[in-house]
Amino acid sequence: MEGLLVPVNGERLQVALTDAAAEVADRVLDAVDGTQDIGLADYVNTGADAKTALGAVRLIGADVFAPHLLLGRPVHPDDAAVIAHSFAVFPPAGQAATPRQQVVAWRDWATSHLLARTGQPAPAGPDVVPTAVPQTATALLGPGKSWQEWSATAAQLSPLALPGLGGPIAAAMFDGARPLAQGATQAMLRRDFVTAARLIRWIALLSSSGVRQLLDPGLLVERIRLYGGTGSRLSLDLAIAGRLLGMEPA
Amino acid sequence: MTTSLTSIAHNVAHRGLTYLHDHQDAEVFPADIPVEPEDPDTVYKPVAEIGMAAALVLREGVGGTAQLRAARELIDFTWRQLREGNLLYERQVRNCLLTDPIEVYCHFVHGGHRHEELERLVTHNAAVGSLPEVYPNRRLAVANSYRMCGIPTDDDWESLLRATWLGATPPPWAIDWDTAYSMTHTVFHVTDWGARPHDLPADVAGYLGTWLPVWTDVWSEVGDWDLVAELLIVDACLPEPRFDLDMWTRFASVQHSDGLLPRDAEPVETDRVQRFWDHCHPTVVAVVAGTLAVSRLLGAGR
Repeated sequence: MEGLLVPVNGERLQVALTDAAAEVADRVLDAVDGTQDIGLADYVNTGADAKTALGAVRLIGADVFAPHLLLGRPVHPDDAAVIAHSFAVFPPAGQAATPRQQVVAWRDWATSHLLARTGQPAPAGPDVVPTAVPQTATALLGPGKSWQEWSATAAQLSPLALPGLGGPIAAAMFDGARPLAQGATQAMLRRDFVTAARLIRWIALLSSSGVRQLLDPGLLVERIRLYGGTGSRLSLDLAIAGRLLGMEPA
Repeated sequence: MTTSLTSIAHNVAHRGLTYLHDHQDAEVFPADIPVEPEDPDTVYKPVAEIGMAAALVLREGVGGTAQLRAARELIDFTWRQLREGNLLYERQVRNCLLTDPIEVYCHFVHGGHRHEELERLVTHNAAVGSLPEVYPNRRLAVANSYRMCGIPTDDDWESLLRATWLGATPPPWAIDWDTAYSMTHTVFHVTDWGARPHDLPADVAGYLGTWLPVWTDVWSEVGDWDLVAELLIVDACLPEPRFDLDMWTRFASVQHSDGLLPRDAEPVETDRVQRFWDHCHPTVVAVVAGTLAVSRLLGAGR
């Protein structure tokens, strides 16, 4: 009973998580733009609030592997262990019924799929790291969706826009040049640079794979950099897109 | 779906035309439009645009009897406002390089009104070929005006189009409000207001087919109904119009019960004369959009 009398400040928790996610995004960004390690283990294990830090690692998801996939940097075993631990502390939801849950399931799939490649032993407990592929790619990105719906979902799935990850979501993007470009244009005109950058990642990934795109992703990256796109998450998305395109770091 | 969309577009045009028709009176229109008004946009341009909308309703001929009669009465009324063309003639005599007289006149020619002295002037001007420097989309307006009047020129349509923003098919996200209007007018003039959709080069038609839905979505989201109406005309001018039922439904839902189509999402004045002048333009554009959409949907478009 005692615990119930302590007021829980949900808003403050949310702010702490947002700040921590920005910190992790900044660390990944520094690694993508520079030569240093992400130092995930160092960040999580030396901070005052390890649980919030692990939540942030879960939020950033597959992008913690960006320096490895984009630049061939090794994944430090301690960092891999931290990622595995984050799944243990924040296990994925079992059922992915709604589109939103399906998007989250795919993001978890990407992180765990890349984690498994590092040879990191699975943490204790059954099914902590979800390795089964969620069978929802067609439901999310199949035909019959308007370009608005399609591109909004593609933006939410942007952490999967990494070279070498592959899978059914990336395969669906190969047929989506038009709605990707339409969604990116809509976001640019709304000055919603966060959504635009997420879509530009896909356009950059496809473009770097030799798939002809309707928009020049390099110009889009440059435009957002020059016209005031700010924030850790946005900067990371732009940096990843820039790296995919062989651009110089901002 | 086609039937439902035809019905929506027809109603938008019909109600808009009724609104314009209900306001052709002395309370709204001043007795005399000056030959050289301080601001041509206040009365001269709206009168010309109402005449143009009426001419397009008559040209397409897809409205019912009442609609065609209203269009006939409106074009006759606006022609009288232009003093049976004398106003245009006086403007041209005083300013030989002006292009608006022919731009206005061409629609009245289609509506069955002629002014021989003006025609002699503009035919001579076409032969002289001394045009003022204007925006490239406005230059297309002049070219189309001569074409509509059957006055020969040596205009190279391809190069005129390529000089416009649209003709260069730039990144679609690098557009602004003013340039969106320029883009729409390029399409209006190249296609002669939807009469020649296949005069748009394939690359430009394809470009519009991809990006027009995005622009329409973005500007409808902020309630810029005047521009949305122009974008709906562009759609009706394409070789393969999209005719988005959802967009037309939303557009029709903002039309007032008397037929006024508000220019944006701001509150509309209650004063009869003020609200007419505030929203005359989007209502005119809505009449044209509805008329061309119905015409294309019925397969009557050329």
